Amino acid sequence: MLAANIPYPSWLNPADNTWQLVAATLVGLMSLPGIAVLYGGLVRKKWIVNTMLMTFTGFSLTLIVWMLWGYNLAFGPAAHLGPTGSFWANFIGHFTPLSTAGAEQGQAVSGANTLIPFHFPTATLAYFQFVFAAITPLLFLGALVGRLKFKAWLLIVPLWITLIYAVNAKLLWGGGFFALKGAVDYSGGYVIHLSAGVAAFVGAAIVGPRRWQDRENAFPSNLMMVAIGMGILWLGWNGFNGGDPFYAGADAAAAVLNTNVATAVGVVAWLVMDMLFSDQKKPTFLGALNGMLCGLVAITPSAGWVNGVGAMLVGLIAASVVWVAWNYLSKVRPFSKVDDAMGVVYTHGIAGLLGGLLVGFLADPAMTEYGVAGSHFKGVGQFSVGGWFYTHSFHQLWEQFLAALWIIGYTAIGTAAIFWFVKVVLRGLRESDEVLSLGDIAIHEEEAFPEPIFGEPLLTPSHLHSDNV
Amino acid sequence: MKLVTAVVKPFKLDEVKVALTRLGISGMTVTQARGFGRQGGHIEIYRGREYEFDFVDKIRIDVACTDEQVEAVLDAIVAAAHTGSVGDGKAWVTSIEKVVRVRTNERGPEAL
Repeated sequence: MLAANIPYPSWLNPADNTWQLVAATLVGLMSLPGIAVLYGGLVRKKWIVNTMLMTFTGFSLTLIVWMLWGYNLAFGPAAHLGPTGSFWANFIGHFTPLSTAGAEQGQAVSGANTLIPFHFPTATLAYFQFVFAAITPLLFLGALVGRLKFKAWLLIVPLWITLIYAVNAKLLWGGGFFALKGAVDYSGGYVIHLSAGVAAFVGAAIVGPRRWQDRENAFPSNLMMVAIGMGILWLGWNGFNGGDPFYAGADAAAAVLNTNVATAVGVVAWLVMDMLFSDQKKPTFLGALNGMLCGLVAITPSAGWVNGVGAMLVGLIAASVVWVAWNYLSKVRPFSKVDDAMGVVYTHGIAGLLGGLLVGFLADPAMTEYGVAGSHFKGVGQFSVGGWFYTHSFHQLWEQFLAALWIIGYTAIGTAAIFWFVKVVLRGLRESDEVLSLGDIAIHEEEAFPEPIFGEPLLTPSHLHSDNV
Repeated sequence: MKLVTAVVKPFKLDEVKVALTRLGISGMTVTQARGFGRQGGHIEIYRGREYEFDFVDKIRIDVACTDEQVEAVLDAIVAAAHTGSVGDGKAWVTSIEKVVRVRTNERGPEAL
C-alpha cells in the first residue's frame, strides 16, 4: 500500500495542492513584477530604480523573516500568553523557524483550527500565506516613495512583518481573539489592506512630505507600465481571493467571479464619477484604475460570502465613497497635512474598511465556504456568514466593527513605534535634500534608462586585453 | 545660401516635407523640440490633479537652400504648416557662410 501513496500521501489532494500553488504564484506576481512596474510607472523617472528595488527587497526580506519565524508566529500553534479563552491566549505563535523536512512536507494545519487539516503540505500553506504578507509592506511603500532612506526600508520591513502583520494575521486568521469572536476577513481586507492603509498614513506622517519640487511635479513616468502592473494586480487577485477557501471547490470559483465583477463595477463607477463630478469632467485612465483598485480591495474581505449582486454593490459603494474621499477628504486635516504619495490610505485603507464593514450588511448565508473546520469556523464541514440584509441582525456588523477598530489602533501605534525606532537608529528616515533632488543616480548610481554615450566608444578601455578588442 | 529654420506643430511635419520636396529641396534635418510662444503651455490631469506643462511639443525643421529658393521655401512652409490657431509656430532665415558635403568634400551651392 505504501507504493500507492507515493508521491501522494493519503491526505494530499493533487488538485487542491496544484490550485493552492498556482494561486500563491498569482499573488506573488502581483508584487513582482506587478507592484514594481506599477509604482515604477507612477513615480517620476528619477525615482523608478529606487522604488522598484524597494519592492524586490521588501519581497525578499519578508520571505526570509517568514521562514525564520514569521509563518509560525502568525499561523503556527499559539503561544499561550494568557489563560485559555482570553485575548492573550491566541495573540501570537511561537518564534520558531520552518526548518525541518516534516515542517515543510507534512500536512498543513492552520493555527488553532486543528480539526480538519488541509489537503496539501505545510510548504504550500506557508508559501501561500507568505505572498500575502509580502505584498502588505509593498502597499504602504506607495505612501513613502520619493524620500524614505533605503536603509530605513531594510529595517522597517522585517520589524513590521514581525510586530504588526503576524499579530493581525494571528488574531483574524490564525484562530486568534477576533476570529473566535466571529469577525471574518475573507482574504485580507483588514489584515492586508486596512492595515497597509493605516501604516501608509502613519508612516508618511512620520517620514514627512516629499520636497515641494517633487510634490508639484509628481506626474507619472509611464502609463503603459501602470497598465501592465494594474493588469497583473487584477488577474493576480484571482489567486488572492480564489485561493482563500484552501480547497479547489465551488466557493473558490464563486470568489473569483465575485472579485472580477466587483472590480469591473469599480472601474465604471469611478469613471462615471470623474465624468460627471470632477473639476475637469474628463474620463481619465488613472482614475478608472483607482476605481478598479477600490473594487478589488473592497471585495477582498467578502469575496466568497456575498453573492453576485452583493459583489456589484461592494464595487459600486467602494468606488463611489473612495472617489469622494479622494477628492474632498484629502483637502481636510489631517489628510491634507500628510503626503501619502500614492493615496494608499484611500484606495487601500478606506476601501478595505468599507469592504470589511459591508460584510456585515451584504454577506449571504446561502454562500457557503466548504471543507473548512475548526473552532473559529464553529464546526466541521461548511461555514457561512449572514449580513443584515439577510438576517436583520447587526451582530456580524458589530464584530466587523470591533475587528476594524483593533486593526486601525494597533497598526497605527505599532507602525509609529517602529518608524520612530528606525529614525533613532539611523539618525533620520529621509535622504538629504541634495540626494532627493537627484533621486536614483545619487542613491544607487543607476538610472531607469541609461544611455552613457550616443555612438561607439573611441578609446579601448584599459581592462580589455588587446587580443579581445 | 540660407538656412531656413521652422518650428511647427508635430502633426504638420509630413505636409511640410512633401511641400518642400516638391520645390526640389533634397534634404532637411528634423528635431523633436519643446517650447512656448503665445500658445503657452497646457494642463494634464493625473490621478485627479492638474499639472501645468509649460513647454509644448514641437518639430524643428532645418533646411539649407540657395538665396533664390528662400521665398518659395517660406511660402511652402506657411502653406503646409498653417492651421490658423495659436501655436502654428515660426520660421526664420539665417545666412550660411559655407557648406561642405562630407562624402565628396564639395563646397558651396553644389553641396546642398
